[in-house]
Amino acid sequence: MTGAATQATATNDVEREVRAWLAANWDADKRCEKGTDKLDAKGWLTRVRDAGYAVPTWSPEWFGRDFSSAEARLVDKAFREVRAPGTGQDRSNLGAVTVYKQGSDELKAAHLPGMLLGMRGCLLYSEPSAGSDLAGVRTRAERNGDEFVVNGQKIWTSSAREADYGMLLARTDWDVPKHSGLTFFILPMRQPGVEIRPLNQITGESEFNEVFLTDARVPAANIVGREHGGWQVLQTALAYERLIMGEGASQRGGTKVSRVPEVIAVARKTGRIGDPAMRQRIAQQLAWRQLNELNMRRAKEEIRAQGSSSLMSLGKLAMSRIQHGEARLRSEMLGAEGLLDDAAHPEARDANFDSAKAYMNSIGGGTDQIQRNIISERILGLPREQEADRTIPFRDVKSG
Amino acid sequence: MSAISPEDRAAMRESFARLLASDHTEARMRATTASPAGFDRSLWGKVGEMGLLAVLVAEENGGLGAGMREMGELFEEAGKALYTAPLLESAVIATSLLALSADAEARARLLSAMAAGETIAIPALTGDSGTWDAAGVAVEAAGDLLSGHAAYVNHAASADVLLVAAREGAGVALYEVAPATDGVTLTPQPANDPSLRLSRINFEGAAARRIEGADAAVIRAALDRGRVAQAGEQAGGSRHVLDMTVAYMLGRYQFGRPIGSYQALKHMAADLLVEVESALSAARHAAAAMDDGSADAVQLVSLAGFACADAYVEVTAQAIQMHGGIAYTTEYPLHLYWRRARSLAQMLGSSGAFCEQYLGEWEKAA
Ligand SMILES: Cc1cc2nc3c(=O)[nH]c(=O)nc-3n(C[C@H](O)[C@H](O)[C@H](O)COP(=O)(O)OP(=O)(O)OC[C@H]3O[C@@H](n4cnc5c(N)ncnc54)[C@H](O)[C@@H]3O)c2cc1C
Repeated sequence: MTGAATQATATNDVEREVRAWLAANWDADKRCEKGTDKLDAKGWLTRVRDAGYAVPTWSPEWFGRDFSSAEARLVDKAFREVRAPGTGQDRSNLGAVTVYKQGSDELKAAHLPGMLLGMRGCLLYSEPSAGSDLAGVRTRAERNGDEFVVNGQKIWTSSAREADYGMLLARTDWDVPKHSGLTFFILPMRQPGVEIRPLNQITGESEFNEVFLTDARVPAANIVGREHGGWQVLQTALAYERLIMGEGASQRGGTKVSRVPEVIAVARKTGRIGDPAMRQRIAQQLAWRQLNELNMRRAKEEIRAQGSSSLMSLGKLAMSRIQHGEARLRSEMLGAEGLLDDAAHPEARDANFDSAKAYMNSIGGGTDQIQRNIISERILGLPREQEADRTIPFRDVKSG
Repeated sequence: MSAISPEDRAAMRESFARLLASDHTEARMRATTASPAGFDRSLWGKVGEMGLLAVLVAEENGGLGAGMREMGELFEEAGKALYTAPLLESAVIATSLLALSADAEARARLLSAMAAGETIAIPALTGDSGTWDAAGVAVEAAGDLLSGHAAYVNHAASADVLLVAAREGAGVALYEVAPATDGVTLTPQPANDPSLRLSRINFEGAAARRIEGADAAVIRAALDRGRVAQAGEQAGGSRHVLDMTVAYMLGRYQFGRPIGSYQALKHMAADLLVEVESALSAARHAAAAMDDGSADAVQLVSLAGFACADAYVEVTAQAIQMHGGIAYTTEYPLHLYWRRARSLAQMLGSSGAFCEQYLGEWEKAA
């Protein structure tokens, strides 16, 4: 039998297995566990986890099934068909992925079981004086017996108020160059030393926050990777975050996914669909989105064939022109109606919202400029940016 | 389904790349491009011996019975090396016109000779308007006599056979014409891109043989194959030009450091990589969709039609800027890629027309 045929049989088996499991366990009409009337989220996630579907590509030792990514997509598809939550956490659960990839067995045993049951995390990376230059964080973590005491300020922390834990990047050694003195922790968020103040965003939301850490405590056992080895751990976490952004899930809550692309829907509604110049721009926007999808498809093929793909690093940058471009085009087609912003004018409201939200992709998770630095250096092999502070003890680094 | 395995496809690509590296060096490329025919007949023969001209020919006609996946990858290599010859015209478009027609006699007579590199068939499918659609055809058929003109016919002077689109009542049909026939006049059309050998052809009651079952749909399908092959060339050329540019950026020093360390240039290069990879994805997925007869084949072909053309123009144009003065000289090869990119962007249809067609496909689906 050829390799392709073996694979096809295996994927059919996976599909059959997952469907059968869902049929036995999930009530698609009531959207809860079979035999109950209301979703018990934690109970359901426990079942999904224990069946190996929460993180199907992981090893069986850690709740996985050793599935290929193609097989995992089949699991995903079967879950989506009956609108059951809980799978795909090997891609979407940033905290769990980071612990799985970089944590010790003890850390995995302590945190993965809970992380896969809907615990919420936040990213405590950025600070007022360390944004793009994350290796410059000044939040200090000092050892005190079996725990660390944390002092400093984080900013732009999305979902901090809802979070059970924070993925914290803090400085543990000030006498070495900046990349070498960082440690990555899992910080319990619900404790007296953590004070959170919401920030108002240009989208009208306030999902990100300032987080003040004053003698906050974190067990030494919660270090991910090595003490002072936080920079490497951060690279893993950032790579996953960018991957997720590069696939461009809709950023707007509540709007149902439609088969008609929004640029076409708005063009039809406003009559601009008949404008030849506008049609060229609409086609260009649709093309950018489809080209990114084709790149990601090719990336997955390359990963299957050779284990990795540099194409994965392009998605987030490509997504910026897609999101900014589409929102701007829709606003332009709406014309004066775009001035309005209420429930009676949903297209206008959405275009206004998306015009602001697009910056989440082009600033958050590393700006477009930082992405271009990374692509040109790591993929194209061009020289690194010169950094005045790369080799001096962090204590002597200027900030502002 | 292609008769060729992925391993064979890779091997074929590899041997073509090796042939081009040995027989189509920059010096040879410049010499043959400057020659009257614009290409090297002996290299064409070797390309034929390798089976590359037989890719789209069915096995019963002495071909490989392969598809656009294979052809597209070969064109990526051709794009890198600026190997043009009548590959697009004879091995893709003319071959497809015959292969997709219902004319078993013409197939049997022409295709194996074309596959072997002995016969060069050149399509003449549009008039001065250069729209490459049925409306652009400017030849009339009356019985088996053709009158009118065709334009932008590349390598017409090297043709052993011309395949001419002609109006026939309300429709369009295809005719086989021997170039030496009375009433056929070739006038060279000087082009900006030195790889081209364009002619305008006048037909004044020229005797022709009708190709059976080659209507507007067949002509369009053959042109679409040409477009997908061309997309491969555009993607491969873009890739090569970016590689060339990055190499130059590492070796050229100004202000005591490589120009590749300047962020203005690094960021341009990163943006160009997005263009290059997107072009490659568009070309490959269009080829696969075409081979598989997927429902979205037309959409993907039109996407490749403008995305690859625009990418190649953008990459080559920016690359000149990134090189500086050296790229403004004819000794440096970059301008040859840039000219090729600009000419391909007008060949077989314009970006604007492909955009329109692409949006039309979206509108049908949604
Ligand atoms: C919606 C949103 C959500 C976010 N959520 C989180 C979160 O949950 N947790 C978290 O830790 N952070 C979060 N961030 C913060 C985000 O990661 C930072 O804003 C981002 O990395 C940029 O840092 P900065 O804002 O300090 O800008 P700066 O780093 O000060 O950059 C300012 C400008 O300078 C440019 N620049 C900086 N350095 C360079 C360079 N080397 N080369 C070229 N240009 C450069 C930047 O591109 C930018 O244009 C979020 C941001 C947004 C917008």
